[in-house]
Amino acid sequence: MTDSGAGHSEESETIAAAPPKLYVYAIVPAGDYTPTVNGIDGSPVHLIGDPEGPRAVVHTHDGGPYDGADDDVKRWILQHSEVVEDGWQGAGSVLPVSFNVIVRPDTESGATSTAQLEGWLWESKGALSKRLSELDGTSELRVEISLDRNTFVEANDEVRRIKDDMEGRPAGVRRLLEKRLEKTEKELADREADDLYPGLRARIAEKCQGIEEYRTPPREVGQTPILMVSCLVTEPGIQDLGAELTAISNEQPAVSIRFLGPWPPYSFADMSDAFAGMSGQDRPSSAT
Amino acid sequence: MADNAIMQPTRDPRATLPDLIEVLLNKGVYLNLDLIISVSDIPLIGVNLRATIAGIETMLEYGMMRQWDEDTRKWVQQSVRAHLPLAEDEEIIAKMAGGYYQDNFYRTWRPGSAYLTSRRLIIHRRDPAETLWQAKLSSIESITPLSEPSIGGEERIRILVRLDDGSESKLSALEPERLIRLVQEQRGAALQPSTGRGSSSSPQPLKQGRMWYLETLSGGGTWRGGEGILTGRDLTWKSPMDSRALVRASASHVRNLRWEKHDNPTGKAHILIVETERSSIRLAADDIDGWYDELEQWSASEQKDPAAGNPREKTDEGESWH
Repeated sequence: MTDSGAGHSEESETIAAAPPKLYVYAIVPAGDYTPTVNGIDGSPVHLIGDPEGPRAVVHTHDGGPYDGADDDVKRWILQHSEVVEDGWQGAGSVLPVSFNVIVRPDTESGATSTAQLEGWLWESKGALSKRLSELDGTSELRVEISLDRNTFVEANDEVRRIKDDMEGRPAGVRRLLEKRLEKTEKELADREADDLYPGLRARIAEKCQGIEEYRTPPREVGQTPILMVSCLVTEPGIQDLGAELTAISNEQPAVSIRFLGPWPPYSFADMSDAFAGMSGQDRPSSAT
Repeated sequence: MADNAIMQPTRDPRATLPDLIEVLLNKGVYLNLDLIISVSDIPLIGVNLRATIAGIETMLEYGMMRQWDEDTRKWVQQSVRAHLPLAEDEEIIAKMAGGYYQDNFYRTWRPGSAYLTSRRLIIHRRDPAETLWQAKLSSIESITPLSEPSIGGEERIRILVRLDDGSESKLSALEPERLIRLVQEQRGAALQPSTGRGSSSSPQPLKQGRMWYLETLSGGGTWRGGEGILTGRDLTWKSPMDSRALVRASASHVRNLRWEKHDNPTGKAHILIVETERSSIRLAADDIDGWYDELEQWSASEQKDPAAGNPREKTDEGESWH
């Protein structure tokens, strides 16, 4: 299964003296920004593109995509994020590029990878500049609110009844009741999470310029996730959101809150619509 | 409360590393060009070299998922689940590049990926995540190839899906014939065990359909697409992007229904405002008049018959939220 021959990638032709490729970290706006950090495995990074227009932060790359053991991938990803972060802080606005995006030369036309990327930056100039100015001065924060099942079900009658019932029962019966208890607890918590969700989401959304849910597997046993959102905020928005979360936490002892960031606006950098030239009505439209 | 320190976000890498990894693998700008060697659709974390990206992608395209070892399967399910909501016991069978022909305001092909699961056929765009089209396998009456000229003039094979409600949709796929065959095979498999299940648990909806919800952000409102469902128990609205329903109101909570003139994504000039004890819910739909009638009857019947009650009994801990 690890046989690369099955793939349709052009990887197999990585013979000696292959023309250089460009590994892309981020797109930054026009300005006098120069990168102050190195990239993956210490690769020196430089800027590609017209000083007047959006530019790409890249390193010259000779291999294929990064691929390896988990720990290596983690290290590379952190190094990638440091370059994005440097652009975000130094250039004021940044479009983070995903891990493992590599530009190669065009074998047919003979254009170098630099020419390819310059061409792309030029063609996409309008869309990139627009998105960069929209994201100017913004950060991404992540908020995860979950319900701590133990705290929540403590006061519940049904749970107490099952627990009382378990006292002094033989081991086999206890096991059955424990199963039932766990199921009941999960259902109760899930219903409570359903009820809490609309109010919590509305309170958080009001403090954000953009909000988007993401999914991850539950982090801790005994917790029922209520909502996990990426929030796009400006500097004062961080304090506003923090204050709202503090209030939520004070009101409801059974919830726990993870509050992460601020990061470059990773979750809000998508441009696929702008590139595809689609104006489908399924996109949220602004109002009010 | 004022004496409490305001919660500050953490950047401690020990706490945030998994999040950072997730975000860098799944988010960010994808250059939309074939000048890219590889943009991994499936992240590498966790696989160790057991299956290369090319291996995974190819095998998904060919619908060979079932032949993988348990761990790899589980891992792929999980990484797909991160952007495509799946039911607990729903499994990915195949995935290939595909699209959906949107035929309402804008007639256009909307690109994404075609996913075949043990229950559904889905056209899903990954980033920003959006389900462009989907159907339960059990609701598919027929799925057939359709030959038509593409913009360039050459003949292309498309996929025509007819559902049991009489509707027809046009899909595209990298390998349409293979996808059709896989759907047919899976449909045969899905029909047998699933009969008799599913109808019992949730109450029959009084009305259900595509609906828009106006969400308030710091800079104003944003219309979001999703599905509204009205049952005897409550009115809910849920976006496929969210994990839970963003609107959940029982009839006893509804105070008033009224119209408002407001820009919205439908052709209608008015939107419907449902005022509840907690909030004002702004809704738009192509069939907003039908919704109004149904909601009016629903909330009126509740007022006359308090015994119908609120079956979602809350524990006392919820009080402070109202």
